[in-house]
Amino acid sequence: MRHGEEHRENNFAGPNPAKALPHQNTTPQHYNTTQQPPHTIPMPLDTSTYSLALLRLDGRRWNELRRLTAQISTQASADGSSYLEMGNTKVICTVTGPAEAKMTGTGGGAGDKALVTVAISIAGFSGVDRKRRARNDKRVSEMQTTIAEAFCETLFTHLYPHSTIAISLHVLSQDGSLLAACLNACTLALIDAGIPMRDYICACTAGSTSSYSSNDEQADPLLDLNTMEEQELPFLTVATLGLSDNVSVLVMETRVQVGRLEGMLAVGVDGCKQVREILDNVVRKRGVKILEGSQL
Amino acid sequence: MTSLKRSLASDPYASNISSKVYVRSTKSGKVQKIVRELYLRQDIPCSSKLCTTCIKTAPRDASGNLPPFVLSEKPAGTKKYPQGHYLIPDTNALLNALDLFEQTSAFYDVIILQTVLEELRNRSLPLYNRLIGLTKSEDKRFYVFFNDFRLETYVVRDVGESINDRNDRAVRRAVKWYTEHLTQAVKGAGTKAAKIPAVVMLSDDKENLKKAKKDGIDACSLKNYVEGLENADQLLDMISVVKEGRELRDAKTAEALYEEYFSVSKMMTGVKNGTLHQGIFNVSPYNYLEGSIKVPAFDKSLLILGRENINRSVQGDVVVVEVLPRDQWKEPSTKIIEEETMNKDENADAEEGEAVVTERERKALQEEVKKVHSKSSEGRPQPTARVVGVVKRNWRQYVGHVDESSVSQSIKESRKQQTVFLIPMDKRIPKIRVRTRQAGEIIGKRVLVTIDSWDRDSRYPVGHFVRSLGDLETKGAETEALLLEYDVQYRPFPKAVLDCLPTEGHDWKVPANTDDPGWKDRRDLRGLQICSIDPIGCQDIDDALHARPLPNGNFEVGVHIADVSHFVKPNNAMDAEASIRGTTVYLVDKRIDMLPMLLGTDLCSLKPYVERYAFSAIWEITPEAEIVKSDFTKSVIKSREAFSYEQAQIRVDDASQQDELTQAMRTLLMLSKKFKQKRMDAGALSLSSPEVRVEMESETSDPIDVKTKKHLATMSLVEEFMLLANTSVAAKIYEAFPQTAILRRHGAPPKTNFEELANQLKVKRGLELRTSSSKELADSLDSCVDPGEPFFNTLVRIMATRCMMSAEYFCSGTQAYPEFRHYGLASEIYTHFTSPIRRYADLVAHRQLAAAIDYEPLAASVRSKGKLELVCKNINVRHRNAQQAGRASIEYYVGQALKGRIVEEEGFVMKVFSNGFVVFVPRFGIESLIRLRDLAEPEPESVFDAEEYVLRTSGSRVVEVGLFDKVVVRISDVKEESTGKRKVKLELVKVGEVDTHE
Ligand SMILES: [Zn+2]
Repeated sequence: MRHGEEHRENNFAGPNPAKALPHQNTTPQHYNTTQQPPHTIPMPLDTSTYSLALLRLDGRRWNELRRLTAQISTQASADGSSYLEMGNTKVICTVTGPAEAKMTGTGGGAGDKALVTVAISIAGFSGVDRKRRARNDKRVSEMQTTIAEAFCETLFTHLYPHSTIAISLHVLSQDGSLLAACLNACTLALIDAGIPMRDYICACTAGSTSSYSSNDEQADPLLDLNTMEEQELPFLTVATLGLSDNVSVLVMETRVQVGRLEGMLAVGVDGCKQVREILDNVVRKRGVKILEGSQL
Repeated sequence: MTSLKRSLASDPYASNISSKVYVRSTKSGKVQKIVRELYLRQDIPCSSKLCTTCIKTAPRDASGNLPPFVLSEKPAGTKKYPQGHYLIPDTNALLNALDLFEQTSAFYDVIILQTVLEELRNRSLPLYNRLIGLTKSEDKRFYVFFNDFRLETYVVRDVGESINDRNDRAVRRAVKWYTEHLTQAVKGAGTKAAKIPAVVMLSDDKENLKKAKKDGIDACSLKNYVEGLENADQLLDMISVVKEGRELRDAKTAEALYEEYFSVSKMMTGVKNGTLHQGIFNVSPYNYLEGSIKVPAFDKSLLILGRENINRSVQGDVVVVEVLPRDQWKEPSTKIIEEETMNKDENADAEEGEAVVTERERKALQEEVKKVHSKSSEGRPQPTARVVGVVKRNWRQYVGHVDESSVSQSIKESRKQQTVFLIPMDKRIPKIRVRTRQAGEIIGKRVLVTIDSWDRDSRYPVGHFVRSLGDLETKGAETEALLLEYDVQYRPFPKAVLDCLPTEGHDWKVPANTDDPGWKDRRDLRGLQICSIDPIGCQDIDDALHARPLPNGNFEVGVHIADVSHFVKPNNAMDAEASIRGTTVYLVDKRIDMLPMLLGTDLCSLKPYVERYAFSAIWEITPEAEIVKSDFTKSVIKSREAFSYEQAQIRVDDASQQDELTQAMRTLLMLSKKFKQKRMDAGALSLSSPEVRVEMESETSDPIDVKTKKHLATMSLVEEFMLLANTSVAAKIYEAFPQTAILRRHGAPPKTNFEELANQLKVKRGLELRTSSSKELADSLDSCVDPGEPFFNTLVRIMATRCMMSAEYFCSGTQAYPEFRHYGLASEIYTHFTSPIRRYADLVAHRQLAAAIDYEPLAASVRSKGKLELVCKNINVRHRNAQQAGRASIEYYVGQALKGRIVEEEGFVMKVFSNGFVVFVPRFGIESLIRLRDLAEPEPESVFDAEEYVLRTSGSRVVEVGLFDKVVVRISDVKEESTGKRKVKLELVKVGEVDTHE
């Protein structure tokens, strides 16, 4: 029940509206362009509509990958190269090496192993906002380290002492799952370069259909997120080694309730297996072509 | 280098992938191009229970659940579609008449297309949210069909085709597909019994209807469709007249009465470079032709005077204004201008020859200008402005009644459609032109209407009826009207909410076994002598207290608050409902609860003699009221007694009472006085607002009398300890969560707010009002006394209160620490903790405090700053609405209590205009306007001395009325014609004291 303290305090709740001085109770508001868009093209719905028909923003179901296409040996000049699209995320990868260091001490593997270096360049036109990234952009350098470490483990680097394997990634278009796309492109380019490795590293993202703060226990896990989804929903990037359940990369920068994590991870690992099948097909097709070529 | 061109043939997905390009502009004005993929598929079900094919491919969620099919196998039929039918409305049908779709008498089995949903979301977010609400209600059977993702119904925009045409085509395509699909599905099922329902497109677009006919699909205009329904007349009124009206006007090419609005980009540029200003449009309650707008660029509001400058803005709209040249600046009016007296007996149908400003209005304004020009000494003209565009309409549903004079007598009985004026209860809203067939029936009723549009060629906004609430002045209708006006959620709690209650119901008890998980980390305080002190008849007891002496001479004092967060878990349906309601609303005869009764008045309520869960704040306090230490814990308590303020006061005053409980209350009282003194020393304000209580006859709950509230020392007692608990908790949760603590602040009022009052006091009484700090203000308010008139000080405090800012909830991360300050309480930091049963903010504070003392992890929803900001925004609005609704309810019942009575009372002049003055009557807590024309017939001549705040009349009646003057008024009740409210009417008997010999 109400006590005086509220009354006392409510005394400060401003004037009685019906008798208010007309110059109060106003707060400045900023333009809200979504209310009256100057363009007639309607903006799409947001992720909150998933529950209406179990459909995502682009028409996929929770457990579907986007279209994943790839080619290898796209650039003859490189030792290995690939071009990969996961939906509208498009990446070119080239591999140089393994090359022996020209001078000892300035690079090259520390003694008995090859050094893996990764350089990512993101085209200014790749995102929604056209912007230049600083060379030492933190997010980019973090991705570089993540990729380099993953392949360091998987490549037989001990076969190439004192050498460098230089991976260079060019991002042409970004629409979510960028790290996963880069990892997949690298796998293909490294195979193209003929560098022995334990197995494919296959990556994808997994998320959850409702945001962290909505704390919805019914949330479905999601596979392979696009930009819109990444902006609104919690997600992680996972990469596994071949057909095993061995996780070689796991990155998560958003908050999510621990209870949802298991489902997300399971879907992610399952997605990686689907990715492996697609990559494997690409490699085998290429192999067949080469064999045909050699027979000619 | 090989070509990167992909071979589509080999791609199994290829034919099903399309892409969409959106262009959007951001807040900063940049244009973004967004490319989105679309995956087209064939497993999106039609969701008809008649169909047996879709169910095979229908999607399942991650747990393997299949969402149930929505559309009935036997949908309702109409005259035109006796076999039954499904509806597919286009966007405009929903925009114009969503109210129709919410009816319970018709509009079932409706298919909402994705195309339509997207369009609606872009056009109107509130309507979109209402539609989403409909799709979630199981009994209305609304199904969202994602036509743009289904291969067969996806439509590519042709070259040169407008987006609207494309969307219309998409709608028609979907209708066609549904028709064919259902035919096939029913045939495929083999059961000949089933009838194939018609799939009917609803549209008001003639072109679209024509094309539909060509395509051979069923289509209907809203009007035609509704005419075929049973209660057609009632439903027809709910169709927005926008469309019809426009066509009508196009034909006439009526003359535009208002300036055209600027384009959005022109406004945006103007606001950005500072030549235009954006803000919320507010209408003066005394003058419907005077608006004002507070914009960031100036510290004083800009005035917007007259219909042309107001340019179709309605109270609450976000508008853009342009400042007028200096020679057009003027002072706010000193004259009361009411729409009812200016534009009586207008004919709602008279569209032709309509001028924006009637001759009478123009005259009134001219006089104003003259007056202001004549006195240049003190008057500083305020900048004026005109509205050049509306950024966002804030239209809602309005309660009002039909202006009887606008209904033509001859057709009152007939069903012919006619246009009438609806007069909203809220005086700041202009009258609304409404077309109806039920004019005769709704005269004398409270009705709900919405505004649909306001075009340049229409003097008044155009709207439509939603429903009738009942006869004017019946308790039911008036209460519902009030709740609707203040947007109070008063519907019964839905089942989903009630499902969250403990299954034991009223039999729930604190577990006897202290090993029960409910006892985990709870302190057993059942042995303490705890009691509660509340107003008489209180059922929802939020708080209880105890005090006992400690061996070291200090006292232990505890404030125990109902442990609501134990019962209301974050993010369940009950929590969601409570967060929307935000607060319990107290009306004179009714309480609209934030939480279900079971919790509010029983399980959470700290009732006496039973064990209850509580959240306790316990302090060690010295006899000088210094806090030695504070401690917070979840607990189990057993209140020994529930006192009313009066009972507690009697016990404390009765020296023969020496029991522990009474002693404890005396200790608390002693400490509370010291706390209060300290607050006052720190500059806490003691302001005032009129407070009265309506006494009801217990049987009929008819109001019988009005009493002013009496103040008892026990009230301050409770008050002080609630303030103490709130401040202590605020400090604690802020320490634990510097970014996300929920707090309450009260900004220092800008100096300009007090300018007028300070001047009035100086001129009339030679008193000085210092406002540089709350301490100064408090002190100078203390010195505002009139030895001959004890009420004068209260009057000044009431007026000062109206110069204050509103207190508000906020999330700590959004403000710098100095901004946390609560000006009125002179406290550095403050929150609400002590009433979780009836305020949502307190519930959030409870959750945060529980996490701060490591009782439980912090729920995600009260840890996210963005989410909390939304919560604060909502509860600030709800809080304000609840207060206003409460006041309006008292006002209504005071009127009812005075019904048929005539009394003379003393009052005080609060405000003087050039053609009237406002009198406040303390006995009833009412204030009302007395106009010159109320003084005598014919209206007396008058001279208004603005500098001295005096109105002198001559001729038919000679009086001199000055600000702060004591007057005697005769109070009677009248039904106010303009708003249909029963209101008290004041008549001036004389200036001065009540004659003693009477
Ligand atoms: Zn079907």
